[in-house]
Amino acid sequence: MRRLRPIVAARMAAREMRGGLRGFYVFIVCILLGVAAIAGVNAVAAALIEGLAREGRTILGGDLAFILSLREARAAELAFLKNQGEVSRLGTLRATVRTTQGEAALVELKAVDSFHPLYGVVALEPTLSLAQALGREGDVYGAAADPALLARLGLPLGAQLTLGSVQIQVRATIESEPDKLSSGIGFGPRLIVGDETLRASGLLQPGSIVRWQYRVRLPVSKQSEASVLAVTAAAQQMFPEAGWEIRSRSRAAPSLQQNIVRFTQYLTLVGLTALLIGGIGVGNAVKAHLDRRRRVIATFKCLGATGAGVAAIYLMQVMVLACLAAIPGLALGAALPFIVAAFDLPLPLAPALSGDRLALAFVYGMLVAAAFALWPLGRAHDLPVSALFRDEIAQEGNWARPRLRYAVATGVVLALLIGLGVATAYDRRIAIIFVIAAAAVFVLLRLVAQLIMLAARRAPHLRSPVLRLAVANLHRPGALTPSVVLSLGLGLVLLVTVIAIEGNLRRQFLSALPEHAPTFYFIDIPASETNRFEEFIRAHAPGGVLQRVPMLRGRIVAANGIPAEEIKPPPDVAWALQSDRGITFSDALPAGSQLVEGEWWPRDYAGAPLVSFEKRIADGLGLKVGEIVTVNVLGRNITAKLANLRSVDWQSLGINFVMVFSPNTFIGAPVTSIATLSYPAGSTRLQEGGLMRAVAAEFPGVSALRVRDLLDAVGQTVTTLTYGIRAASALTLILAACVLGGALAASQRQRIYDAVILKTLGATRMRLLAAYALEYLASGAAAAVFGLLAGAAAAAFVLTRLMHLSFVFIPGPLLLSCALGTLITVLLGLVGTFRALGHKPAPILRNL
Amino acid sequence: MLAGVNLTLGRGRARVHILKDIDLYIGNGEAVGLLGPSGSGKSTLLMVIAGLERTDSGIIAVNGNELNRLDEDGLARFRAKNVGIVFQSFHLIPTMTAVENVAVPLEFAGVRDARERAKLELAALGLEARADHYPAELSGGEQQRVALARALAPEPAILLADEPTGNLDEATGAEIIDLIFEQHTRRATTLLLVTHDAALASRCGRLVRLRSGRLESE
Repeated sequence: MRRLRPIVAARMAAREMRGGLRGFYVFIVCILLGVAAIAGVNAVAAALIEGLAREGRTILGGDLAFILSLREARAAELAFLKNQGEVSRLGTLRATVRTTQGEAALVELKAVDSFHPLYGVVALEPTLSLAQALGREGDVYGAAADPALLARLGLPLGAQLTLGSVQIQVRATIESEPDKLSSGIGFGPRLIVGDETLRASGLLQPGSIVRWQYRVRLPVSKQSEASVLAVTAAAQQMFPEAGWEIRSRSRAAPSLQQNIVRFTQYLTLVGLTALLIGGIGVGNAVKAHLDRRRRVIATFKCLGATGAGVAAIYLMQVMVLACLAAIPGLALGAALPFIVAAFDLPLPLAPALSGDRLALAFVYGMLVAAAFALWPLGRAHDLPVSALFRDEIAQEGNWARPRLRYAVATGVVLALLIGLGVATAYDRRIAIIFVIAAAAVFVLLRLVAQLIMLAARRAPHLRSPVLRLAVANLHRPGALTPSVVLSLGLGLVLLVTVIAIEGNLRRQFLSALPEHAPTFYFIDIPASETNRFEEFIRAHAPGGVLQRVPMLRGRIVAANGIPAEEIKPPPDVAWALQSDRGITFSDALPAGSQLVEGEWWPRDYAGAPLVSFEKRIADGLGLKVGEIVTVNVLGRNITAKLANLRSVDWQSLGINFVMVFSPNTFIGAPVTSIATLSYPAGSTRLQEGGLMRAVAAEFPGVSALRVRDLLDAVGQTVTTLTYGIRAASALTLILAACVLGGALAASQRQRIYDAVILKTLGATRMRLLAAYALEYLASGAAAAVFGLLAGAAAAAFVLTRLMHLSFVFIPGPLLLSCALGTLITVLLGLVGTFRALGHKPAPILRNL
Repeated sequence: MLAGVNLTLGRGRARVHILKDIDLYIGNGEAVGLLGPSGSGKSTLLMVIAGLERTDSGIIAVNGNELNRLDEDGLARFRAKNVGIVFQSFHLIPTMTAVENVAVPLEFAGVRDARERAKLELAALGLEARADHYPAELSGGEQQRVALARALAPEPAILLADEPTGNLDEATGAEIIDLIFEQHTRRATTLLLVTHDAALASRCGRLVRLRSGRLESE
């Protein structure tokens, strides 16, 4: 006889499925939901990325955008751009507007020329063209504002505001802006004015933090991707010192794109956890199925099937079922972006069926099914045939350890699963940490389950029969303990981690500000006004502490001679290279920083430019003390030697910079200041509002940013993001409940048998119910305690090591989720058991 | 041929010496009745001969195959070629029709026209009309006839029958025994029949008694 031919194995597997899907429902749900989670996450991300790409030129506002900080393009640069196609210039900055009553509000100001927008339409209410809305009428300039601005100031449409030194009239509200997504998080409502208005406002002081964008619409004949690349290359070659950030339509909103990818990665990890929990359900279902098929397996062996042949038949069956379960899962996942799109979110969703992403989710599903099925299948290989002859009652749990080849196969499949997870991860380090954490949690939960069973086995003789039954149930063969502890434990670890991270983010961003956190940031304080500004604040904010530092903006062009485009930093420091950053200079180590390597320069240092870097960023860019950094500031490349490294306490929310230069570097450069104002004794909203109005009236060019408002804006983003993660985590708990339900169903026969025998011996239903409740409570509570500890530890790791924030244990919501988890276990268990208790003893006894 | 066969099962205090120094020679085409009380080791001896249970010591040679030298897969191949087994509880596979049940050992052996041959086997036992019925749709006697057809389908050298009438009424049991002996004679298959029933055993040409794991007499 040869090896079992696949066709024969398939035939046997198909015949074996005629018995129906009984016992496989949990298996199907586990694979279906797990695959749906991963496919859904991937499909939504693909739809977003595709949407961004498709709408790229509209979002960017051109085929290419050249972005400059603090300065406008020089004549030669502008001539070059105009040579390429139609050019639209716009300036963006943060500014303060004032009402006639002296109310002030921070706005995200956008000054546009007559060519704006090159692509798409700015929709205004009432329907006006931009020229009509922004034009000048007498001394008053037109403007269009986000409806939120009018609402915040309590003004009607047509109201007049002061911007810098000019009067503007809000003639329309903005319904939609085509390029909104490329502008990032706004700290205030949008206000669009004409280019002429900005120039007349007096806000353009030397050193004012203005970003100038030159958007280019290429002629129809030159719109290919190659043309875009050619223009980019030519711009870089002709103006190597321009220091502009060049974005093309395919990279319209790089930080949004990156956030989508990063967010997807986190959600994929949550999806994978769901799939892992599902895997436990898969393993349980396969084991229960093989338990039920013991006689058939033994018969196959008597009729000449080898152990491997038997394993092949059932593996095929499991994989076919996994395929069948994965298909609706894929359909559900693929439908998710269409469902999300129906909610009319302000995101460019382009839902489409992406074959490779769906294939990836399918492969994940198959690998998880195989990884968790191979072990019990391996045990079936050596299932004794004696059952056929001795007519013994098949005992659950009476299985041998699988042979080495099955252990190896399980290992290989797990390695493939891990490899795939890591290879397709956005951040491999996080993926590896996840794998290690998941493995550790898995092993620890198994240990916890074993410990409970061991303790129950070794427990002293208990006088109460209820307790005795509960303890015996905890450790008997086929006990639910491992299933409850593993599935609920994993689900709770994830839930607690997510809740703890979310709670800590909220705490840090929203509720409790750091003790010495400033109340205000003031930006764009002109060099000529610094003394007057400081005096003004001292007079108007008695008791306040003002800290002021000079600020410019600069882009890192090269690190140690390597051009920025060629540096491959780890994802958590990549932002330092993406765009221009605030930079400062100082003759002393800034407050809130600690020197960790190298030495600070002397007070009167006058040599070649020196720079101090934040250590983590320097490490990420591969920079060491003594090496050279090139930074483009105001269109000039400045080369400085790295003199020292600092650690920075970002959470203090004080003024901190990645790069601090020696003061002689920027002599003669137009510099504005940034200042923070803190009230060590605390401040009231009234006090803060009064100061904001006073500053706006006295220094129209200076913008006051209230820290609380900034954090609200960030907090809102955090809240939106956590919805997705919460939904995915809830899915893992649903899966955990399914796994639990499956394990209960599998042990139902044993429970009915126990209940009938015990009832025959005089046990009341209440007593039995109490015993079962105690059993579920013990294993559920153990899982909950472990979930709480491990989840808190995982959250602490993520917050302190990956996000570089602090961690505080927030007991309320965490304890509540664990208590709920335990309650679900007890309730689910009792619902299952109640059915077992309902059976009349006589018919069962007759068939025993 | 079995020589010096010993088998113990279980561990620690539950360890039981089931087969003790068994020496037994059965010639080709012989019909041997294996008698003994419950727990005497009859079924275990049958499993040893079928290569389903490994012994602690001794030699087992069946139709030129020394079973101790074969690995698990080798034993499976040996069974597929040489051994047919009929059980007391029939052990038909409930999700397969009669013809599919009979075809299973042929399919495991890689026989291409397994289904056709299975049909012929069923016809030989008078079950052609029941070929597409599931076990649950068959009477006990019919089920045991299907089991016999399945055991005989690969043309085994030895047919092992473990209490084949234990779950049947007297008349049906007699029919089955008649069929077994008829097929044994027609196919010249070696037959080893395990039973409690001395009358039934006496239809075999030779009787072997087992008591507490030891062969008592022939």
